[in-house]
Amino acid sequence: MSVATEAPPRTAPTRPAKPRPNWGLWGGLLMALLITVLAARSIEFTLEPLLYDYDRGRPVLEGFLDPEWTYLGRVWEPFLETFSIAVIASLIGCSLALVMALLASKVSAPNRATYVISKQLLSVIRSLPDVAYGLLFVAAVGTGALAGILALIFFNLGIAAKLTSETVDAIDPGPVEATDAVGAGIIERARVAIVPQVLPSYISYCLYVFELNIRASVIIGLVGGGGIGNVIRVELSRFNYGRLSAVIIALFVVVFALDALSRTLRRRLV
Amino acid sequence: MVQAAAPSDQTIRFRDVSVVYPNGVRGLDHVDLEIPPGQFVVVVGLSGAGKSTLVRTINGLVPVTSGSLTVGDRELVGVGRRQLRRLRADIGMVFQSFNLVTRTSVLNNVLTGRLHDTPLWRSLLGWYRAEDKEIAFQALERVGIVEKAYTRASQLSGGQQQRVAIARVLAQEPLVMLADEPVASLDPPTANLVMRDLQRINHDLGITTVVNLHFLDLARRYGARIIGMRAGNIVFDGTAEEADDKVFEDIYGRSLTAEDVLPDSVRIESLGGPDTP
Repeated sequence: MSVATEAPPRTAPTRPAKPRPNWGLWGGLLMALLITVLAARSIEFTLEPLLYDYDRGRPVLEGFLDPEWTYLGRVWEPFLETFSIAVIASLIGCSLALVMALLASKVSAPNRATYVISKQLLSVIRSLPDVAYGLLFVAAVGTGALAGILALIFFNLGIAAKLTSETVDAIDPGPVEATDAVGAGIIERARVAIVPQVLPSYISYCLYVFELNIRASVIIGLVGGGGIGNVIRVELSRFNYGRLSAVIIALFVVVFALDALSRTLRRRLV
Repeated sequence: MVQAAAPSDQTIRFRDVSVVYPNGVRGLDHVDLEIPPGQFVVVVGLSGAGKSTLVRTINGLVPVTSGSLTVGDRELVGVGRRQLRRLRADIGMVFQSFNLVTRTSVLNNVLTGRLHDTPLWRSLLGWYRAEDKEIAFQALERVGIVEKAYTRASQLSGGQQQRVAIARVLAQEPLVMLADEPVASLDPPTANLVMRDLQRINHDLGITTVVNLHFLDLARRYGARIIGMRAGNIVFDGTAEEADDKVFEDIYGRSLTAEDVLPDSVRIESLGGPDTP
């Protein structure tokens, strides 16, 4: 405190010189711009069809503007299947994710090797997109809900485990130390000192993954994973744009409603 | 209960113990020390003097680099994980920042002290035995906070949280209680309350107690034996009466300042609070 009241020194310290501009940053931005232009030219990217060719889309647009609402009465079962796929995949995927997350954090892993291997495994799992898992499991177990569920489990595992393990990395180490000091093993430590700390975030991630699943299960249905995506694929190949329109609008409403519900739940958690 | 059943000699013995941290810092430098069972020892010294290292080697939170450290007839240096855990079950520890899981109930925090005696499936389900809950409740009664058993730990004040942490130690039914700066995060009246809890537990249950403190008035008031540390060495070992200001100046390597005593402690004493030993 007494230091603050001292008189300022007679000669002010020399001010630092202005640092040189960050050429690296500007160079990087310029490169990004250049690559974008080159990429656009290499695929002959143009917006012209939007202006001159829209007539071709007229039957599609007309179909979409006249949804065949009565068709919805016949597709509630695939809708339910999509929902079930999302629920089952979320439940299994997130349960596995909690275990993987604990193995893939330095705080909770039993040893360094487990930590490194789990972390690598997770990044491999994450490197494939949901559609790729869909194609993979449709090839492995045939079309249908099972392929969709398996695909989404892997998709969920990748996301939920990564987010959760990062939350585990950031927990308060105090309780962990205290649990070590009472002579607890690593499983007890995870149960007593780590999981309670990450639980709200973890549940929030599970709900988030469930939101993603509803949307992703449509895509996975498109490649043969069952559910409403399958219906979309069939109607698309029959050019039934009226039916397609009804399904997509219904899907929009369902996804929006479930998202809103999940978001409300998540907000209460954290 | 455990105290009666335990082997009589639970002396803590340091024989030529050195601790070198991975960054090369020497925490302990060839320390020899003997702490007989039931003693109340206060360790003082500046920060970085090695007092925290000294306390944390006793339950293996800081690994010993060389030498031998025994509690009773059990060696701590170079033992496996399982043996270390069994030893830790008999050694409770209180921390500066309480180290409670604040999202869960006080009772659950205290039950952590029963983990060493709970089957894994029970602790995974959080379904503790009735007798373990009874031990936890008795521990909470002993620190006078039983009415908060089902409260979330985050809702308690600092002093209350530290008493829950002490109850967690009691629930272990330990032979030794370690406390690493247990009152450094507390205001002066609460600091005295917590120190008296530790003293009472040491007196009533005969649990060997080793406490780190940096306030020398607290050290003198509560420590039956005072150990002074500087640069990883024990530079003073004697009774509270022997530890006068001159001794503390030697330990600290500088003259004493107002920051070395607990602020307002004189006022607290005049309120008729602590029963000075």
